[in-house]
Amino acid sequence: MNCEWVQQNVTLYLYNELPDDERFELEQHAKRCQECAAVIGEFQGFHQQLDALPKLEVTPNLLTSARMELQERLETAEQLQGWRRFVMDPVAWLHRWRFSPVLAAVIFILGFGAGLGTMYRVVGSVRGAVGMSATSAQAHAEASISGIRTIQQEAGTNQIKIQYDKTTPEQVQGSLSDPEIQQLLLYATKNNYNSGVRMDSVDVLRQKPEDGRIREGLVFALRYDSNPGVRLKALEAVTPYVRGDIRVRNAVVEALLNDNNPGIRMGALHALEASRADTSVRQALQQLAKDDPNPYIRTESRKMLTSMPEID
Amino acid sequence: MSGEAMVAAFPSGNYDGREGLQGISGLIAPQRTGAMLGQNAGRVNDAELIREAQRGNRAAFEELVRQYDQAVLRLALRLTGSEHDAKDIYQEAFLKAYRNLAGFRFESSFYTWIYRIVTNLCLDYLRRKQTRKEEPPVASDADGQELNLLEQVADERPGASPERNLMQRELAARIVLALKKLTPRERIVFEMKHYEGLRLRTIGEALNTTEETVKNTLFRATQKLRAALTNAR
Repeated sequence: MNCEWVQQNVTLYLYNELPDDERFELEQHAKRCQECAAVIGEFQGFHQQLDALPKLEVTPNLLTSARMELQERLETAEQLQGWRRFVMDPVAWLHRWRFSPVLAAVIFILGFGAGLGTMYRVVGSVRGAVGMSATSAQAHAEASISGIRTIQQEAGTNQIKIQYDKTTPEQVQGSLSDPEIQQLLLYATKNNYNSGVRMDSVDVLRQKPEDGRIREGLVFALRYDSNPGVRLKALEAVTPYVRGDIRVRNAVVEALLNDNNPGIRMGALHALEASRADTSVRQALQQLAKDDPNPYIRTESRKMLTSMPEID
Repeated sequence: MSGEAMVAAFPSGNYDGREGLQGISGLIAPQRTGAMLGQNAGRVNDAELIREAQRGNRAAFEELVRQYDQAVLRLALRLTGSEHDAKDIYQEAFLKAYRNLAGFRFESSFYTWIYRIVTNLCLDYLRRKQTRKEEPPVASDADGQELNLLEQVADERPGASPERNLMQRELAARIVLALKKLTPRERIVFEMKHYEGLRLRTIGEALNTTEETVKNTLFRATQKLRAALTNAR
């Protein structure tokens, strides 16, 4: 081992990436050689300098919101199976430069084919629109029309194009285990403008929180409903699942950290009591105990942290 | 599969999200073990979770995400300096992993696989960023509000002088600029080694290259940084 080798490998030495025998030899060499010892000292100083840069830590808020967004996007994401993995991931294909010419040719052919297809469809639909059957006209007349959007006459023809909206009130009856009833309740929870209807819907859904789809709807209500009463009801319904369902736990942590209603935050705090040893809950509690503006939340968080068993 | 089915499939001790006690030996260099262990310490059986997730169990995938997402987010945050961009990379990485999970053949660990995806996304990000104008050492939080990193450099020990804080800030500013002048590959290798404390072998696997290449890249990055910090004195 000579000085040149030592000076070339001092970086690996400091990062603990040298095998034991080489490490030992390097240390022995540095004891004998002042020049190499000085180089090692200089590199150590350089490493200390680098530590002047502040560590960017992931805050519980950032982590929770990243997790929630991911969960949301995962709800609509699908795993690509079989041939779809190759077809549906064009970026991966593009990275395989060997296939680029083939891919370009395929895209060109598909584009050409799609163009032809679209042209024929446009021609076909124009022809089809000419004759409206009597049955169809009857159905349109019977439907309750909520409004006409546009009326256009095609120039030089007797064809009139009318765009309109129709509403037909319907009623359905069934038990909560009926999928259609569930779907309507979930729709009401997510979309209804009337908070009273959303409240009634959550009130019914809370009778069956063991169903995964219903629980997702309740979590949605907890996270996004503008009415605190609805959010509180949803929170109560999902509380028994905080320990077993990560999505519920994340939503409750988010409510604890970010909800603008103190009552819901307090409810969330109590709901998380059973899962206070969980990392994300613990981090949230530590943050709240440190600087939450609400004294009750601050004190309760501290209490929960102190009553927690030590985890290494 | 519903939440209950998941609980049935995995023992509750593992599934309640509680961090365990064991670390991943061999992945982390001894001098910076704290950097990664926090989250990876309690990893449950990845293979089981991956198989469950491959069968379409989203809760299993989310559990898998929780094993590694803090480390992924931290790396993205370090490299982008922006909470918003870091979150984008995080989302993209895990969504990509989920979509392509069926193709995961257990030839490498999930940890290596997800790191490979993240490093590729970060490389793309840094390359795009390099073509733009040089920016000041400013990071932004998720709300788009700017946070000056250098404002965070302060010696809070009793007796710390304002002069010392000022010097520390100047040094940190020089480091930030020097890091930005590295090539994207050098930057990633250096950050993963120095600040994340990963083994060279692991970095090589993540970047799909040999340990020797990583070593050379690290040498180049170190030389450039040393030169930049020495010249600026």
